[in-house]
Amino acid sequence: MKQRPTRFRALILLGVVFAMVAAACTSSDDTADDSGLVTITARCKAAPNVEDGRCNNLLRGVVAANAQLAADGDDRRVEVQIIQDNKDWGDYLTEFELASSAGEAPDIIVSGHELIGTWATSGIITDITDQIGDYPEFDDMIPSLWASAELDGKRWGIPQDAEARPLYFRKDLLLELGWTQAEVDSLPADLASGAFTWEDMLDTAEAAVAAGVVDEGNGWWHRPVNGNDFLYYYYSAGGELLDDSGALIYDQAAAQQVYELVGGAVDRGILSNSLLGTSWADWNSTVANGDILFVFGGSWQWNDWAVNYVVEGGEEYLFDNLGFGPIPALAGGTNEPTTLTHPLLYMVSSDTEDTDLALLVISKATTKELNTEYALASGHLAILQSQANYEPYTSSEFLAEVASLLEYTTFVPNSPFFSAWSEGYFLGISAVESGASTPADAVQIVVDQLQNELGENVIIR
Amino acid sequence: MTKQIEEEADALAGAAVGAPGPQRRPLGRRVRSTVSAYGFMAPAVALVLTFFVVAGILLLILSFTDLQSTNFNDAWTFVGFDNYERLFTDAFFPKIARNTVFYVFTTLIFFNLGLALVLALVTTSIPRRAGFFFRLVWLLPRLTPSVVYIMMWQRIASADPFGIYNQIAPEFLGASGGNLYLGGSPWTFVILTNGFIGASFGMIIFTSALESIPKDLLTAAKVDGAGTWRIIRDIKLPMIKWPLLFIATYQTLSLLTSFEYILLLTNGGPGLFTTEVWALTSYSRAFATYAGNNQWAYGATWAIVLVAIALVLAVAYVKLFRFNELIEEPRIENL
Repeated sequence: MKQRPTRFRALILLGVVFAMVAAACTSSDDTADDSGLVTITARCKAAPNVEDGRCNNLLRGVVAANAQLAADGDDRRVEVQIIQDNKDWGDYLTEFELASSAGEAPDIIVSGHELIGTWATSGIITDITDQIGDYPEFDDMIPSLWASAELDGKRWGIPQDAEARPLYFRKDLLLELGWTQAEVDSLPADLASGAFTWEDMLDTAEAAVAAGVVDEGNGWWHRPVNGNDFLYYYYSAGGELLDDSGALIYDQAAAQQVYELVGGAVDRGILSNSLLGTSWADWNSTVANGDILFVFGGSWQWNDWAVNYVVEGGEEYLFDNLGFGPIPALAGGTNEPTTLTHPLLYMVSSDTEDTDLALLVISKATTKELNTEYALASGHLAILQSQANYEPYTSSEFLAEVASLLEYTTFVPNSPFFSAWSEGYFLGISAVESGASTPADAVQIVVDQLQNELGENVIIR
Repeated sequence: MTKQIEEEADALAGAAVGAPGPQRRPLGRRVRSTVSAYGFMAPAVALVLTFFVVAGILLLILSFTDLQSTNFNDAWTFVGFDNYERLFTDAFFPKIARNTVFYVFTTLIFFNLGLALVLALVTTSIPRRAGFFFRLVWLLPRLTPSVVYIMMWQRIASADPFGIYNQIAPEFLGASGGNLYLGGSPWTFVILTNGFIGASFGMIIFTSALESIPKDLLTAAKVDGAGTWRIIRDIKLPMIKWPLLFIATYQTLSLLTSFEYILLLTNGGPGLFTTEVWALTSYSRAFATYAGNNQWAYGATWAIVLVAIALVLAVAYVKLFRFNELIEEPRIENL
């Protein structure tokens, strides 16, 4: 009698386990069924709320894509599945590489254009040079943006967005420091003409700290982790990057000037020695609410601040208190204002069997309506020529003004060696800012690192 | 001489189980007991084989190639000892090695062994329920997801106005207003964050060992007039010798390969690899390069050298602490 309940329970347990295993095993993963429906998967990284359009626009282009297929007499229909989150860049990129190696890559992947250097070389994205002409939507693309999608004369992706990296300055703090309203209002023009230089900015920041307008270490901030921004410091100092042979150049004089700039800023009390390593959340919160006088930021952050970080007043508050212009000219360098643009591209994985359908979906997402909606929500710039005359776009005061920065812009090179170069170069910045080394020593350390990492693929000048 | 003793022992054993005369156990019994012994070990052996031996061999082979993101889908190219040369001539290799030694032994001595022992001794000397409660509290960091745990530490140690410590502590206690784990003392926070977690493992093991000391010994010592410190030094510590040595070995190897909390807190920074440890370098090289050219083979090289060091240490510990004494058969068979 005692055995029966135990045996009964064991049977139930076995049944439950079996059911769970059966459920786990049945997962349907068909990319095409008999009715000609093809599933295109797309993978995007997007900041929550503001950048969702990156992949969502692909979803919204499906209706138009299917209409196009019907009009062309094609029997296939397409549906799009998106995987969109805000994973760390490093993890996100590794995920795509591992997935490609396992033959499970998504059909469309969004990424920074510089990945073309690595991914095209390793063959995991498709060369779409010859197919771009099949889609009239792509003729509308701003021509200068195509340069970011090219490697070895071939095109590997479709630009999805563009941005610029301005200098943001606090109007209220400048007024408190003693500037007149006229001086504050003319600052963007002075930056553009080169009248207000990098050194002027540092002097003003130092005066602000001395006057107590900002706390020590809060005169000038840049981003808290490595990023493409630091490249324009190097360009500004006169440094060249891409050599004709495909190797990357490390100009010691230019790098030393950059390290002296940041090291000097820390020594003068303008920049905090523990800024690098701070979390983005703390950084955005501090900057958006007005504790920092000068910030080297990104145009996409404007909207992020207005929506997620400004305590009261949203975009109104930002327009009232924050001004922007190009990065100041660096005397002793190029002596010209500058900025950097880092377009993200839609790329097609070489795993896919339906390159034409993937491009079709992308082309239907690359319309002035959808792209403008995305640009307005996320603070990105126009990528299509028709957007310059499209009322919803031009009615955005911020975007219209910041688009003028594209005049001074520079790009990151498409090179498989750029990531190692960037890490070596950033090591110098990190060393000097934390006080671990002098600028001259930092240059030597970076030279050793680059030669260790890149060998003959780096040219030390 | 030994053989004679063995035969006599066999005879006694035979007598004890009622079998006639000195004879070995029947073949069937021996085979069955051997098979069941290996059968019980099989799952653990399979795991070790798959995740350690096979993985180790793969890593070793990988370290002789130049596999990275740009040639990921091509056939492997073997480059001999290039990666090893690169590792040992890296300008920061000595610093990373020094950091690793410092990190492992400081955390081990002060927290994974030291604090664990203190916690175990204290919580076994107070009323049982209170002891249980405090041990539970000390286990909580270990149960907290690592990202959440580090975020809490960052909230404590961040700069004004985000850091709690800077808001409530007075200035002479180090609350300068700046970031404490990046600008203040990165190593303090790296060791604290890892130590608070590491202490709980030793604490549990030591507690159970301490609680299994026969109470008569302690009573007798007290009757003889021994004070608390004397009891700890002369009775408790010797009686938990094996757990102590085991924790020392296990935690050394565990700390050697741990990098999760350092990655989350300082990512090896600030500045020039201030808190970078070996395992973190291996991870960064293979998985976390900024613009995507992951150096799989180079990262594997760092990893396999670490595995080799860990193996050497493990063997050294076993020999030094004479662990084979722990698992020796007792010389007296039947008590």
